[in-house]
Amino acid sequence: MRNVGIVGIGYTPVFVSKRKDVNISEMISEAVEAAFSNTGLGPKDIDAVVFGNMHTFEGVNLPHLWAADYIASLGKPLMRIATGGTTGMSAFHAGYYHIASGLHDVVMVVTYEKQSEGDSQVGLMGIITPEVMAMIAAGIDVTGGSGMGAIGGGSAGGISFQASSYLHHSGAGIEHIDEQAALERRNAAKNPYAHLKDPDATAEKVAQTPLVSWPIRFGHICPTSDGATVAILASEKAAARITEKAAWVHAVANCASDATTANLIESQITDPAEHLPAIIASRQAYERAGIADPKKEIDYVEIYNGFAHQALMYLEKIGMCEVGEAHKLQEAGELEMSGRMPVNASGGVVSTNAIGTSAMNRVTECALQILGQAGEHQVEKDVHKAVAHGWGGMMQYVTITVLGDKPKKD
Amino acid sequence: MEETRVVQGTWDISTFKFRIEGVGLRRMLDGMKEGKLVGTRCHKCGTVYLPGPFYCRKCHIEINEPTEVSDHGEIMTYTIGYADVRGNPLDEPRIAPVVKLDGCDSWIMGVLQGVKPEDVHVGMRVKVQWAEERTGSLQDMAYYVPE
Repeated sequence: MRNVGIVGIGYTPVFVSKRKDVNISEMISEAVEAAFSNTGLGPKDIDAVVFGNMHTFEGVNLPHLWAADYIASLGKPLMRIATGGTTGMSAFHAGYYHIASGLHDVVMVVTYEKQSEGDSQVGLMGIITPEVMAMIAAGIDVTGGSGMGAIGGGSAGGISFQASSYLHHSGAGIEHIDEQAALERRNAAKNPYAHLKDPDATAEKVAQTPLVSWPIRFGHICPTSDGATVAILASEKAAARITEKAAWVHAVANCASDATTANLIESQITDPAEHLPAIIASRQAYERAGIADPKKEIDYVEIYNGFAHQALMYLEKIGMCEVGEAHKLQEAGELEMSGRMPVNASGGVVSTNAIGTSAMNRVTECALQILGQAGEHQVEKDVHKAVAHGWGGMMQYVTITVLGDKPKKD
Repeated sequence: MEETRVVQGTWDISTFKFRIEGVGLRRMLDGMKEGKLVGTRCHKCGTVYLPGPFYCRKCHIEINEPTEVSDHGEIMTYTIGYADVRGNPLDEPRIAPVVKLDGCDSWIMGVLQGVKPEDVHVGMRVKVQWAEERTGSLQDMAYYVPE
């Protein structure tokens, strides 16, 4: 396997609720242009393109082909990846495979979501339609009034079972979820590409937002955002031509378990807070990256937390601390940008969620921290190695990417 | 410009069929008519599922051994809803636990009654309250109550 580096990153100028001034392809092209202008590269330098966004969230089935000439892919290999919330990182992994395999030298990975042009609940419904239909046929009350029809609304309803189980097993309280949301919205205020920013966010303010489904409050939940992110990847040889400093991929891994929560038809056998895929994928990634103790060797973490508790929960799952320790690190201030284990200095998914970009941004934000290019949200400590986590699928799919400041040695 | 346009269309959902529906779920629904919960046990690893899939999720082999499980169990996780699916506030918060029934390895959702929201907790013992008239529908398991 060849080494692969991230040599360029491009974001749309903003990530906001509604970009009415541009259509999908136009919005994507802004991120492509940003990546080109940041690297000095142009369409002729790109060997292949990988594209990622959510399945039909905007009602557009083949956005990669609509956008083909906006993403410099004409006459070139092009593929679209869609794995749910993890899409952005799966697309990044595909770009990595393109180069690590020796097939290509410079690959552009394009991810986007323009949630304002679709209905996310309709998109999410499309994920569970067959199961819901079978449940209705068996007499279930999908309005949740009685029997086994205790279905919450969208992923917030499903994820509340995870949060509840996490609180029980970790010893954390809802106030720690409040604080995590506040911490990340404060971080977001320092990131020009974040959506929900609040420099004065506090746990007390978050606690005043209404409970949606215990223990999930409105203030714990990600927004729906419009935005696009592009990363340009290169082999070691090509990277040397393009830039003096790249962020290098040390390992990629992914893992699925059974579809957790509300999986009545096939029987739910997994605790939604146990999240075996995160444990398996992270351990595989550390092994591949030659990392024996992630607590000591990883300097920075980006967690995919569509819901605020997940930053704490996944820190434990991916081995950055012991079970029941994450909320104590939070209390000690270690998760802040000035702390010993800074997490989501970008503001996390809980502050910005253009879904197709969300798992990709975990990687690009780790890269910016390694390159020292995060600007106002650059963490205080030196970042040599970082781990990016993606979460999605039917709640049960995890992707992991480990990055370093030097190419990986064999 | 209009914010939203409505396009008419139809979607035939009657074509969604699950093979599982014909095996484990049918067995479960038939048992419920008699107030029994019948799952499926893996003859290799012993894992008991309710409703039973046609294959073991751990061993990946076909399974088809009916096994009765208890209608008593333990809350593994739960949530409390404050609004209905259309977002309208509920008169009383609705407790929705996920329960592991005794003798069963899979978890099953439901509604819990007879407990105040502040008193519900993981590990709480509950039992199924059966519907008075059972018809072989998932509604036969009306709700859970404290043991």
